[in-house]
Amino acid sequence: MRTTFDACRLPKLSVGLATRPPTLVWETTGVTDGFVIRYPVWPGDSAEQLLVALREAGVRLAEVPVRDLVDCIGRVANRFLDSSDPLRQEAIDLLVPTAGISKEMASEILTGMARDWTADRLTELLQRELQDPGVLDGFRRVDEGRRVRAEGPLLTFHVGAGTVPGVSVTSMIRALLVKSAVLLKPGLGDVVLPVLFAGALAEEAPELSGAMAVTYWPGGSSPLEGLALQRAEAVVVYGSDEVVESLRARTPVTTRFISYHHRLSLGLVGREALTAARAPDVARMAAHAVSMFDQRGCVSPHAIYVEEGGAVDPGEWAALLASAMADLEVEIPGGQLTASEASAVHQMRGSAELREASGSGVRVFRGDESFWTVILEDEMNFTPSCLNRVVSVVPTPDLGGVAGSLGKVGRHLQTVAIEGAEDRLSMLAEALGRAGATRVTSFEKAPWPPPWWRHDGASVLAGLIRWIDLEE
Amino acid sequence: MSDVFASLAHALGTAFKESPGEPWPDDVFESWAQRVFTYQFGANPVYAAYARKRGVTPSTVTHWSEIPWVPASAFKAVPLVSGDPSRVQRVFRTSGTTGAGRRGEHHVLDLGLYKDSLIPNMRRHLYAGGPDRADGDGPILPILALAPEPADVPESSLSFMLGAALDVLSGGEGGFFVTRDGVIDTVGLSETLGEAAARGTPVLLAGTAFAFVHWLDWLKEHSAGFELPQGSLIMETGGFKGRSRVLERPEFYASLSEAHGVPFEAIVNEYGMTELLSQFYDGPVAATSGMVLEARRHVPPPWVRTRVLDPNTLSAARMGEPGLLCHYDLANAGSVMAVLTEDQGIAVDDGFRVLGRVEGAEPRGCSLAMDDLLSGVRS
Repeated sequence: MRTTFDACRLPKLSVGLATRPPTLVWETTGVTDGFVIRYPVWPGDSAEQLLVALREAGVRLAEVPVRDLVDCIGRVANRFLDSSDPLRQEAIDLLVPTAGISKEMASEILTGMARDWTADRLTELLQRELQDPGVLDGFRRVDEGRRVRAEGPLLTFHVGAGTVPGVSVTSMIRALLVKSAVLLKPGLGDVVLPVLFAGALAEEAPELSGAMAVTYWPGGSSPLEGLALQRAEAVVVYGSDEVVESLRARTPVTTRFISYHHRLSLGLVGREALTAARAPDVARMAAHAVSMFDQRGCVSPHAIYVEEGGAVDPGEWAALLASAMADLEVEIPGGQLTASEASAVHQMRGSAELREASGSGVRVFRGDESFWTVILEDEMNFTPSCLNRVVSVVPTPDLGGVAGSLGKVGRHLQTVAIEGAEDRLSMLAEALGRAGATRVTSFEKAPWPPPWWRHDGASVLAGLIRWIDLEE
Repeated sequence: MSDVFASLAHALGTAFKESPGEPWPDDVFESWAQRVFTYQFGANPVYAAYARKRGVTPSTVTHWSEIPWVPASAFKAVPLVSGDPSRVQRVFRTSGTTGAGRRGEHHVLDLGLYKDSLIPNMRRHLYAGGPDRADGDGPILPILALAPEPADVPESSLSFMLGAALDVLSGGEGGFFVTRDGVIDTVGLSETLGEAAARGTPVLLAGTAFAFVHWLDWLKEHSAGFELPQGSLIMETGGFKGRSRVLERPEFYASLSEAHGVPFEAIVNEYGMTELLSQFYDGPVAATSGMVLEARRHVPPPWVRTRVLDPNTLSAARMGEPGLLCHYDLANAGSVMAVLTEDQGIAVDDGFRVLGRVEGAEPRGCSLAMDDLLSGVRS
């Protein structure tokens, strides 16, 4: 069994760097249970060489037709989806220690992620956003009076969050589709898939090899970071508010800056779904939405507002949710937590149990050997989860009041999963949208937004490209 | 009820004061711990219900480690009083350095018991001359506190502690050099330190790490420094969590040492928290002279036992393995004695080594802005 992983995949560089440049010093960082991640330290001159090489590759990438890009990437996606392909097995084995997730979860996540990298999905994304993807290859007439062309950045610098494995691959793919070379610094929890993906894509399409570099460093620690911010035409950042703020401040004003800061999601269950027949199903889907990614995703619900007055009351529904969380823990077990993650669960749980013991209406349902926890609240008050499958159920007299109660939480709100308010859906979506939500969906779909979703309210390719109008 | 507490508190206080400092034999701690748990179970219905849910009652406890802990954050969630809430003498509050989230509250039924815990422990660690010295027979160590007067900040357990120590251990010598708004009386403090240096009177300079950083900045700006007389001590506490400026400990101690002319081993960390009425020191009794910083450890007083728990299983961590610190503090008789902290540490022979609050790894998930979010909801 492997105990180390090199969080680095570099192009073969004609300017003097080997695949693993001998001039680079390697550092290590532990993740879980003795597994070690190695990463190179970039001195300024090597960093400059890398960026020059990537930009040169970006020029060549512009000549590759978008159709070919979609096909090559799609073939790699198929390998990740093929259970007989050793690449998929390698990815799953490495995700367990590096992302702190169970094998079953690794498999779920890889399938869900790679599905969006297939040729069909990418084509759908291109068509939804650009109508005619050919605009990436040359001028096209899409409307009267002009021809248009979409130009991607020569080099895009991506900074990943590491919360959900695979997200940084999706980010890379979006840049490659608009024919941009990519430098990716993944987050520590998401180093495996981008390295494997870039390697597999380079095998599949050697002409793309030079246009992708994946290399981890602890945020803020490498000269490559500052240099990349200066040299890239576009910067894409996933991370906490602090990380986004720091990188934005250091990015030149002429550089496109696309950022996905801290986000959280919610669930709403209306009384229509709180019938004896529907409630258990809704609880199962909600448990799945909460537990997927061990709740570390921006799409993961922190709290579920449950309407009073249904046949099943919020307390009974919380018990159903707890039972579904327990079942799911067996089916897709939670991962190994870091000390601080585990500590946060103990603190949040124990505090809730004392509130329960104090005779309030709070009730706590929890796993004994596992971390899943359902906290039935007694007041309509939003408390962010400590994550790793800890969710609160908030009773509410009327779902219509939820949006107005969120206050500043709305600035970080993303997905709201709604079940059982079919007749009121538009009205609720209006109000939630005004409060800050950018995606209203079902519990079932919540973990897996479609490839063409408007991530945090904006089109994902549109932010990367620059339109050129040729007026006639 | 409260008479029961009064007699328990009196008995505990007497045991603390009469304790020479060496760890109590297991059976002595065991019997005290069971007595305190039995009392708390009867006098704190919230805690009793919490314990019962865990299947624990006084009759099931065969070893003190089975006594249910409460998480430190529970002090933010519910008032934890073992006894008559109307007889609470003081509510200490946590500083809430990480945003405007709710602050933890420790409702203290008997400030006397708090003093009975803090004085002998501080005497042992910081007044190494022993009781004779601290009782006024020998030279006493005036306390110069980088903290506000207790009367200005009645919610601060640190100011209370320093005030009590100043009254008892330094015979009223010394003073407080921070205003209630947190401004350091730099001129007053530098004059007092200057006088101490001139007269050759050793002092105990005590305060939060954060206040010391500001004090060091001021000294640097004014190119000022002191050569404190031999025997002087610096006690720092509190760490830097949630603060904009963070100093590594070796760098911090080097600056403290240089600016005040005291050796490294005269700088002591006090590890304490509002939720516990006992404290832990890592020197100079605990840290033998010249000991390197990394090798220092915090030593509990005899009436506290500390377990190091595996964060994932909450069973005892293997010796030498890091885990979450869980303290069983008999001085907490009026609230809850067993408190699980968010601090990581490693058990060593007679104490533990604090590793700090969060390990180096990048946190996964979007929990970082939690405090900001909370403050957003409540503002």
